[in-house]
Amino acid sequence: MEKKGITRRDFMKASVLTAGAAALGPGVLKPTGVWAATPKIKGPIKVGYQAIMSGALAGYGEFHKMGAVMAMEEINAAGGIAGAKLEIEFRDSTLKAPEAIKNARYFVDSWGADFLAGVDSSGQALALAPVMKELDRILMVTHAATEKLTEEQVYKKGIKQVFRICTPTYQDGNAAAFVAKDLPAKTWATISPKYEYGYTCWEMFKNTLGKLKPDAKFVAESWAPFGTTDFRPHINTIMDANPEGFYSTEWAGELITFVKQAKQAGMFDKIKHVLFPVGAAMDVLEGLGNEMPDNIWMSGRYFFQYPDTHINNDWVARFHKRWNHYPAYVSETGYSTMYAFKKAVEAAGSKETSKVIDALAGMMLVSPAGYRNFRKEDHQAMYDVPWGLTKSDPKYPFKVMGKQVVIPAKECFNRPPFEGPETMPPF
Amino acid sequence: MKRFWTYVFIALILAGLVSIGLFAGRFVVYLSMRVLILSIFALGYNLLLGRTGLLSFGHAAFYAGGAYGLGLISIHVTTNPLLGIIVGVGLACIMALVIGFFCVRHTEIYFAMLTLAFGMMVFSLIWNLREVTGGDDGLVGIVRAPISLGFASIPITKTSHYYFFVLFCFILTVALIYLIRRSPFGLVLSGIRENDRRIEFAGLSVRNYRLAAFVISGTFAGLAGALGALLESNANPFSAHWSHSAEPILVSLIGGIQTFTGPVVGSVVFILLREIIERFTQNWMLWFGLILLIIIMGLRGGVVGGVAQLFRRKRSHVAKSGGNR
Repeated sequence: MEKKGITRRDFMKASVLTAGAAALGPGVLKPTGVWAATPKIKGPIKVGYQAIMSGALAGYGEFHKMGAVMAMEEINAAGGIAGAKLEIEFRDSTLKAPEAIKNARYFVDSWGADFLAGVDSSGQALALAPVMKELDRILMVTHAATEKLTEEQVYKKGIKQVFRICTPTYQDGNAAAFVAKDLPAKTWATISPKYEYGYTCWEMFKNTLGKLKPDAKFVAESWAPFGTTDFRPHINTIMDANPEGFYSTEWAGELITFVKQAKQAGMFDKIKHVLFPVGAAMDVLEGLGNEMPDNIWMSGRYFFQYPDTHINNDWVARFHKRWNHYPAYVSETGYSTMYAFKKAVEAAGSKETSKVIDALAGMMLVSPAGYRNFRKEDHQAMYDVPWGLTKSDPKYPFKVMGKQVVIPAKECFNRPPFEGPETMPPF
Repeated sequence: MKRFWTYVFIALILAGLVSIGLFAGRFVVYLSMRVLILSIFALGYNLLLGRTGLLSFGHAAFYAGGAYGLGLISIHVTTNPLLGIIVGVGLACIMALVIGFFCVRHTEIYFAMLTLAFGMMVFSLIWNLREVTGGDDGLVGIVRAPISLGFASIPITKTSHYYFFVLFCFILTVALIYLIRRSPFGLVLSGIRENDRRIEFAGLSVRNYRLAAFVISGTFAGLAGALGALLESNANPFSAHWSHSAEPILVSLIGGIQTFTGPVVGSVVFILLREIIERFTQNWMLWFGLILLIIIMGLRGGVVGGVAQLFRRKRSHVAKSGGNR
């Protein structure tokens, strides 16, 4: 019989050889910087943008893209960034951490990106932070909200390459507590997503409201797993507890489903004070249309009616003309990210990461959402986003904000060093 | 003569793999590592699917076991990756033993469904044990500290250095799986796939052999998971999701489940194809799915099987035409 293939001995020889080569390799022949992209001041400025573009949340990716593309068109029409053309490439982040890392590495090492932006999920943002340090490129987070990113990765671990242009969970938890404090409700309950984002926000809301209004009680919580389509058991749990106030960080399609089912169950007739920290998102408002009840408190990372400035109103009009949509908050953060890069690169006179970091930290940016100040310590953009009561307006095919309350970011954002007294509101 | 060419072929591939680590750009090195890790995952998995004929939908659980085992050790005990990998692989092995114990009593669809159920149980455990696993944020901040062996310490912080460590593990896996497949044990597994009754009548415990195959494949999944966690410096709950269990299945099908090299070739095709498609369109899922469908349905026996068949046909054709003359 002819012996096919290779014997065990052959295999051993081969593996010893490779193991030897592997051990010697890095020591003898070190890869030099020839393959590493060397940033020049000349040439286009490339931004790698990743957002969720597949699956049930693909609409978010489209809104990201609208904002970023519009900024690119405007910037290039006006002569680019310090004379250089701005280029953006988009990739689907799929909400999974390994994909986000692969995208970032592709952008920087293969495509030659100077800056990165985007990222929807908190898990992805946290996983990317150490990678950004290794790649030494700036990542501007435009949607992921976890406070751990800026508090732990940037402030405590010193990963200076990460910035965030959108409001973090402080807006959803702390600011909501400031709104709730002035409402006559004393007992509160929640139906929120059964993952870190939902838990963190409810925890913040409870802590801050507990301090602002010591007699507030938290009577029920029901956690809905990702992908919940039937909220009725959760709604029943809450209605049984009979709270006066209701808080929910459900978002996107799940919030739409929830509102429809809660309305059927008569929940909004029974509970008068309702807070939706991410209800003022265009996908939710457009998706619900007139089904969104009136007099619901809602907020987001930006709302197109605020601030009532020339810059913002003008931008909203341009955006509507270009895309036939009102800008979602991710459109605004995507748009402003490009202008933040522009301003920082022009101030630094270079697109070198360390110089742009210095320019960005502490920088003041004029944007549709108002003045943004990138806090030096944790690279979090400080700007105000309103909380507002829903109302109908014949000008829009969806509910907009009537009465608005603004909790200044300075009052409701946690402060460095994020531990010990005087770091969490109220101050 | 044939053995000589096999030898040359393997030497060429090894030289290619080593030179990727030495000369290629950072992204190529990174992508190659993902291919190698997926190959380890799939090679182990195919011992169960191709060799023993059991379709498991729960192997991502063992992958996650490896990742979380390493992550927890690295964050709470020591950053020495060697210990982390040992614990991760050990955890995956124990999980496979326990889950396998319940699953191998059944075959076919019942086995598949049971593994799916157990896999998703692990997924929801990871998702809900927030204090231990970090919930959906996963374990972040796993550092690639140098591998200290007592007398020497090998740095793996840099991507290109870590590549050689992954390559070493890959070669180890290939060698081990190769030996297992050729051993009497491996032949019994084939026997089970072809006719389990006969194996039983031969006086062997089919259940124990199935369990052994299950545990071995789970252990390699754990190794892949530990290496993956070190590569991405985090462990995330989706690595335990059933959709991740589908990856080694797809990869084995692409490459050819009846072949030894199938899972490796499948991994290369799977990762490279997606990377190429993503450069052309954001609608990558559609095209990716279509091309995979064509490969799986068009090439019976996968890429490796198909190519081998092509060669064989050519050769027999030449032989035939030669005979006619």
